[in-house]
Amino acid sequence: MSRLPPGLEPDPVIEAYKKDVDRTLLRENLKLTVEQRFERLFELQRFAEELRRAGREAWGRGTDR
Amino acid sequence: MSDDFPRLLRSLTEAGVRFILIGGMAGIAHGSARLTVDLDIVYARDPENVKLLADVLAPFHPYLRGAPPGLPFIWDAETIRRGLNFTLTTDLGPLDVLGEIAGGTFSDLLPASRAVKLFGIECICLNLDTLIQVKRAAGRPKDIEAIAELEALWEEKERSKD
Repeated sequence: MSRLPPGLEPDPVIEAYKKDVDRTLLRENLKLTVEQRFERLFELQRFAEELRRAGREAWGRGTDR
Repeated sequence: MSDDFPRLLRSLTEAGVRFILIGGMAGIAHGSARLTVDLDIVYARDPENVKLLADVLAPFHPYLRGAPPGLPFIWDAETIRRGLNFTLTTDLGPLDVLGEIAGGTFSDLLPASRAVKLFGIECICLNLDTLIQVKRAAGRPKDIEAIAELEALWEEKERSKD
């Protein structure tokens, strides 16, 4: 049975999505400090930006797939 | 210029702007694994804070996100006072500056927030229970996956207490 913050009732749509949440990632994050969580986010953001740049270089900005 | 959220947070904090971190970045503080690309804050609407907010962001060229270039948009205290919620681009990254959200104003949300230390500065961040409540109250379909993850996080935290 789902546990929720006080005052909230289970929402069937959210419960359906919750089944697919990768809790292993959450458990790993919960081992980190708040600052370490942000450092990982900013690393990921830099990586995503580099992927976008590489994608633009490879395929251009237009309709080339 | 590439995004520099630590600098953006530091600038706001060191200038003494009163704000609460909400949205995806608040989710990160609580352990979310979702990649987020903008910073969402709820700011206090008193004249002094509005002036501080206007002055500290001005050097980073705030502009309405998604608006065509060249609109006569002036970022100053008067604009903030006349408006409420602004979705902005800045030189340091996308920033949503919100005077009120589904969960209320800065004053409403402050009791449900806590200081977190980040990069040597102290920011006020919304607690997980309230973050879930405000995302639910917003009722946006795009938030459903995020809410599911936040509720799963809440369960994980509760489980670790048992």
